[in-house]
Amino acid sequence: MAQATDTTQAAGTTPPDAGDEVKVVGIVCNWCSYAGADGAGTARLKQEFEMRLLRVPCTGRIDPLFAIKAFEKGADGVLISGCHPGDCHYSEGNYYARRKFELLDRMLPFLGVEPDRFKYTWVSASEGARWQKVVNEFVGKVKALGPREGRAL
Amino acid sequence: MSDRQAKIRELAAAALAEDRVDYFIGWKQGINPSEAIPAFVRSADEVDQLIWNPLSHHNLTTFLKRKMPDPPNARIGVCVKGCDSRTLVALLQEELVDKERIYVVGVPCDGVIDRRRVEKEFADEVVDISFSGDVVTATTRCGDSKEFAKGDMTFDHCNTCRYPNPVYADDMAADPVPEPEDRTPMWGSIEEFEALSPAEKDAKLADAFETCIRCFACIHACPVCVCWDQCVNRCRRPALVGQRVDTKENLMFQMVHMFHVAGRCPSCGACDRACPVEIPLYLLHRKMNKELYDMLGFEPGVSLEEKPAFQTFKLDDPFGEH
Repeated sequence: MAQATDTTQAAGTTPPDAGDEVKVVGIVCNWCSYAGADGAGTARLKQEFEMRLLRVPCTGRIDPLFAIKAFEKGADGVLISGCHPGDCHYSEGNYYARRKFELLDRMLPFLGVEPDRFKYTWVSASEGARWQKVVNEFVGKVKALGPREGRAL
Repeated sequence: MSDRQAKIRELAAAALAEDRVDYFIGWKQGINPSEAIPAFVRSADEVDQLIWNPLSHHNLTTFLKRKMPDPPNARIGVCVKGCDSRTLVALLQEELVDKERIYVVGVPCDGVIDRRRVEKEFADEVVDISFSGDVVTATTRCGDSKEFAKGDMTFDHCNTCRYPNPVYADDMAADPVPEPEDRTPMWGSIEEFEALSPAEKDAKLADAFETCIRCFACIHACPVCVCWDQCVNRCRRPALVGQRVDTKENLMFQMVHMFHVAGRCPSCGACDRACPVEIPLYLLHRKMNKELYDMLGFEPGVSLEEKPAFQTFKLDDPFGEH
């Protein structure tokens, strides 16, 4: 209990009121970003708690439709993260993925989703501190926008 | 116009007579003279039904993706316009159509007529559309008749067309028409939509997609949508798209289509023409192509040697964090 309080205070927020809470989906690759997030947790780096992580084998496995589906089902933000280009566990998965995410990133504002609600980035297994920064910044922006009320997506 | 029609008939008759193809796909007159419909011609005596006029809007490449496996070894002749040929090239790039089994007649195109636009000028049913030069004359069932300039009645994507001549053809039905010197793509009417705020966009999309009846006409008509029975839109597992027909599911359905044809779709407009409730699908596809061009300088279906955008990558792609 004491720990949970610490977490929220460190992130500079108070626990949200019911109905006010944002839902943020993080889709991360098993080899870099998930391990990075794990590292951040092990090092007890305080992070925004609205992030829900989904682990996939590789960013190359992430169909842009996963993000669109998440938005459709009520996510307020989607973060995709994987290995840095050149570091992919499967050599080239994230190079293919990069093109898809860039297209998605450019299409989402056209579909009525604010640009700050989607981000794709790279976090390696050793970058726990970077993971903390990415999550706090991203979730902070989504919180500033508040819950989505899209009719179309 | 008619010399292209004559040449199409001649080439089709020759191909059928010499048994180079099993059947030939072109356009023929519909039930009334105000529309053209696809024609399947199986013998040289029947080629007289083939026509070419500005109503021949169908992208016949669609039949290649469907007919190719059935019968498995059919050799097919097909007519293509400029935009159709780009969808064909996109299919050939990914070896989704066997180049050895098709015979392609390219038809230089001056733009096709948007029949729906003509229909909206009348309260009555349009039963005849005829052409002389650049004048289009439409007549209704009660004999009401109006003349239009052809340029006012062509499809949006014809007005911004950069490839009036087929980029791939075995034989041409006429000499190429003059091509625009500047090949930089134009995106027509999407800027208006782009300028809206996120909430306005959402409202507009919701209004448009609310009416979708999920008839699948867009993906049936789409020449580059090829999964058929494996389509995630029609299976319950993975449950990406639900059975329930509501606004969100409808847009999701279209998103599946859009992202799956990304890099193959040259915005030929077949889906728009097929939609019975007139959802502005061009918005999505043109925006996608605009962004692809902006990202990679990539235009789908322009050259046989090129690899589709999403089947390859460069180490130094100029976007994303490095």
